[in-house]
Parts: sequence; structure tokens; C-alpha cells
Amino acid sequence: MSLFTILLSALLVNNFVLVRFLGICPFMGVSKQVDSAIGMGLATTFVMVVAAAATWLIQWFILEPFGLPFLQNMSFILVIASMVQLVEMFLHKTSPGLYRAMGIFLPLITTNCAILGLAIMAVQNSYTFIETVIFALGGGLGFTLALILLAGIREELQLADIPKPLRGAGIAFILAGLLSLAFGGFAGLV
Amino acid sequence: MNESLKMVVVLAVIAMASAGILSVVYGTTSVIIEENAARALESSVFEVLPNVSRVEIIRRSADELGVDDPKEMREQEQRTTLIYQGIDSNEQVVGYAFVGEANGYGGVIRILVGVDEVTDEILNIKVLSHTETPGLGSRIEDESFRSRFIGKTVEDPIAINRDIDNISGATVSATAAADAVRQGFVNASAVYRGGE
Amino acid sequence: MRLFKDFVRGLWAENPTFRLLIGLCPTLAVTTSAINGMSMGLATAFVLLCSSALISLLKNVIPGKVRIPAYIIVIATFVTIVDLVMNAYMPDLHQVLGLFIPLIVVNCIVLGRAEAFASKNGVVSSAVDGLGMGLGFTWALTLLGSIREILGAGSIFGVALLPEGTTTLGIMALPPGAFITLGVLIAVMNMIAARQKKTS
Repeated sequence: MSLFTILLSALLVNNFVLVRFLGICPFMGVSKQVDSAIGMGLATTFVMVVAAAATWLIQWFILEPFGLPFLQNMSFILVIASMVQLVEMFLHKTSPGLYRAMGIFLPLITTNCAILGLAIMAVQNSYTFIETVIFALGGGLGFTLALILLAGIREELQLADIPKPLRGAGIAFILAGLLSLAFGGFAGLV
Repeated sequence: MNESLKMVVVLAVIAMASAGILSVVYGTTSVIIEENAARALESSVFEVLPNVSRVEIIRRSADELGVDDPKEMREQEQRTTLIYQGIDSNEQVVGYAFVGEANGYGGVIRILVGVDEVTDEILNIKVLSHTETPGLGSRIEDESFRSRFIGKTVEDPIAINRDIDNISGATVSATAAADAVRQGFVNASAVYRGGE
Repeated sequence: MRLFKDFVRGLWAENPTFRLLIGLCPTLAVTTSAINGMSMGLATAFVLLCSSALISLLKNVIPGKVRIPAYIIVIATFVTIVDLVMNAYMPDLHQVLGLFIPLIVVNCIVLGRAEAFASKNGVVSSAVDGLGMGLGFTWALTLLGSIREILGAGSIFGVALLPEGTTTLGIMALPPGAFITLGVLIAVMNMIAARQKKTS
């Protein structure tokens, strides 16, 4: 698959959230407003790309040559946690406003299964370094897209009269289902 | 200093204990995992070659480069082609089988291809593993799709919309399946027939 | 009695899936059938039980500043063990659950319980709490998986319920079906909880 196909596939056709079911927790948690959705999406995309690069290097230069595939899980998540820590420190110094706005959700990027998921998938598919980075970029942008779409709808819904049991998570999941149905239309694209 | 030292020591101890436990578990399980895979593959050979009573495994290396790059090393390991020779009860070679791989939608598609010893035509294929979309890409497992490959030789294009009909709505999966069969066939045929 | 309360909490009142809304990725991804949901739940329950117990055991040894990396190492160890053991002894199930087995390490339930409970309570309580949460997660996943299997494939735990050839709701096996089913289930659970509150 060409680089473009990888990008498009990760972004739309095999959207990480709506098709692969990765990153659902932040998807539900940060999709109440478009502003926070954009911030979260872009921050996550950044971490994804950097983490994908770092985990690729670890897999092919440390784990494989030394015969340590069983340390993949641990080393990958530790790398991701460190990356998030670095991003946190960086934001704290350079953009304290954004740091405060993101609050608790910044450290929670570590537990976003989309990041670890894509690192493992890139290895399983034997992607090259460039392919891995493009894959991460597409995945992150797709995550951001899904987040913004859901946030846009939920913002509008604040004025709607939703039955009590459905309020919050209930309606959000049903909406996500409809979005997922729509994204299914991309299936024949590439 | 004492506090920092304690942090480092505690983490190091936990990490080493973990690595130790995992290498033990890995040592035991990896053997079983490989055996499972080998057994599953061998039993699949019976499905793509007819009248086989035993399977013999031949290993041939497509090339013998001295490489340092670890990714290259792994790829070179993969380039060592495993040929599964199917032998019938009269000790005659029925045909040979090999695994072709290609990247589909969701990930790697692995296909076992059985080829006739005499005519060098594909006898049957079996999709070993895939992570394609259920109901769409997964239709590469259907008999109707697999049968399109029967009778192909290594000279045929074995390409979607050329000599193999597509699965509508699953072009990427079908193309990847065809790629897996064709590339595997070209490689295995060269290694089995000619030797490089 | 406190032990009992610790156990029951995760089953209903603080059910991770329906009430706390955590650990959602595997909830949607592997519940295409009842057995898949149940297996994922049990694998996660195992990790929860072991990691909560061990972390509680080590809670006084691990300095506060490095507790998250330390917890991660412990959890990742158990996740890798589950991954390797399943691959060796249950290869079919391992292939179906696929990517989501290693992803147990970032399941918010596991790290969440370690931080919220195991780091502050005794070993037995932590183990019981982990088990309760794990089983609560398991029944939620099994329920979701059963619904999707019945509607999507006309069977339950592999046993066909409908005569062959009956048209089923194929969408249930696909992502939209997962999202919508969970949404509806959450709404139902909310209704039940609200009714409970009224009567108590």
C-alpha cells in the first residue's frame, strides 16, 4: 500500500475511533465542546506521531535484535508514558494557558489505547519508519476528526430535550453509532 | 540524593523482576506457540493439496546477504522460503505449498497456496489469517473467490480485474489477497524449481 | 462485611462499563459474540486481580513520585503473561481478541483501580476489589456480546437459536451496532438505577 493509501485508510476508511474502536474513552470524555475536542485531538496526534517513531526504533533496534519480543508491551507503554510526560512539561513551560485548559486530560493521553494500538499494529504490519509515521499521522487526524464531529453534534444537542436515561453517554454512543454508519460509506474508497 | 536513589533502585528492581518472570514465561510458551503454528500450517497443507499422506518441509534461502540492519535481518529471515511438499502414500510428490503474505485493509493477509507438482498450476488456496472487514473483505475466504485462483500458473498475471474477478466493495482486500498469492507463487516457484 | 462490599461494588453500583464508563475500547471491539466478550472480561479480571494485589503488597515500598511507572510495569507484566499463555493454550481465542489483549495494559479500569484503591488499601481488600471490578466488567461484556450475537448471528455462545437462513441484523456485528447497542444498554441501566434510587 502506498503512503497515500495508508494515510487515507487510517484517517477515514479504517478510522481509529469509529471503525477500529480505539480511543473511545477520550472520545466520550472530551467530545462535549468543539474547542476542547480540537485541542485534545491535536495533542493526541502529536503524541501518536512521536510515540510511533520511538516505538518503531525500540522494536527494530532493541527488541528484535536481542530477542525480547515479550518486552514489547512494557517498553512501548513506558515510552508512551514518558512522551506524554515530556509533552506535559513542554506545554507547562511554553503555553500554560493551554496546559491549564487541558487539565486532567493531558496525562490521560497515556491511557488512550489508540496510541499503544497503533504502535503494535505498525509492528505487526512490518511498516517501515516512514510508513509508521504516516500511519500515526492519519490515525491521529482521524481521531481528531471523529472527536470534532461528535463534539459539534453534542454542542447542538445541549438545547434539545433528550429523555433522561439517554442523557450523556447513552445518546453520545447512539450518535457515535450513526457516525460510524456514515464512515462505513468510505469502505470502497481505496 | 537518598530519595532519588531509592526511586531508581525500586524501579530497577521491579523492572528486572518483571523481565525475569516474563523471559521464563516466554521461554515455555514460545515453544508451544511455534508448535501450534507449525501444526496448524501442516494440517492446512492437507487442505490445499489432494491425496497427501505426509508433509515434508524444505527450507531454501532466496539470497544470502550479510546484513547488519536488524530490520533487514528479520526481512531476510522471512525471505527464507518454506516449501511444504505434499507426498502421497506411494511416496510420490503430489505438489508443493507455500505461504504468501500481503498487507490488506486491516493488516497482514496470509494465504497458503497449493501447486501441482506436474502441471505447476494452483490446485487450491486457503486464507490462513486476516483482519479484514467482516462481511466485506472477509469474503476473500469465500469459496467463490478462492476458486478464481485454481488453474493459474506462475506465468499468469494473477491480478484483480485482469484475470481474477474483484469482490465489489472489497477491492483492497481482494487486491492484497491476489498480491499475496502472486508474490508468494513467483518466489516459491523460483526457489523450488530453479534455486537462486 | 467490608470485604463483601468491596467485591459487590464493581458488580453493579460502580460497574466500570455502565456506571463509571471506563474501559470502553475492548467493550465495543470484542463483543461480537458472547464468548468473546466473556473471555475478554475474564482476561481483564485476571490482570485486575493480580495487579491490584501485587501493587497493594508493594504500596509502602514504591516511592510516590514513581508510582505510575511502577504500576505500569506491574500491570504490563501480567498483561504479557496473559498474552503469552493465551497464545500458547487458546490460540483461536487469542486470534479473535487480537490487539485488545495487549491493550489491557491501558484499560483505564486497571490503572484506575491501582491508583484509587490498591495504593491505599490492604492486599486482600485490593484483590477482592480488583476481582469485583473484573467480574462486573465481564458480565457487562458478556451481556453486550450476547445481544450482538443473538441479533447479528442468531446464536448465543455458538449455539444457533434461529433456524438456518433466517435473516439477521448483520449491522450488529459491525461497529455501528456496537455503539448503538451500548448506548441503549447504558440508557436502560440508567433507568434501572433511577428506579432503585426512587424505591430506596
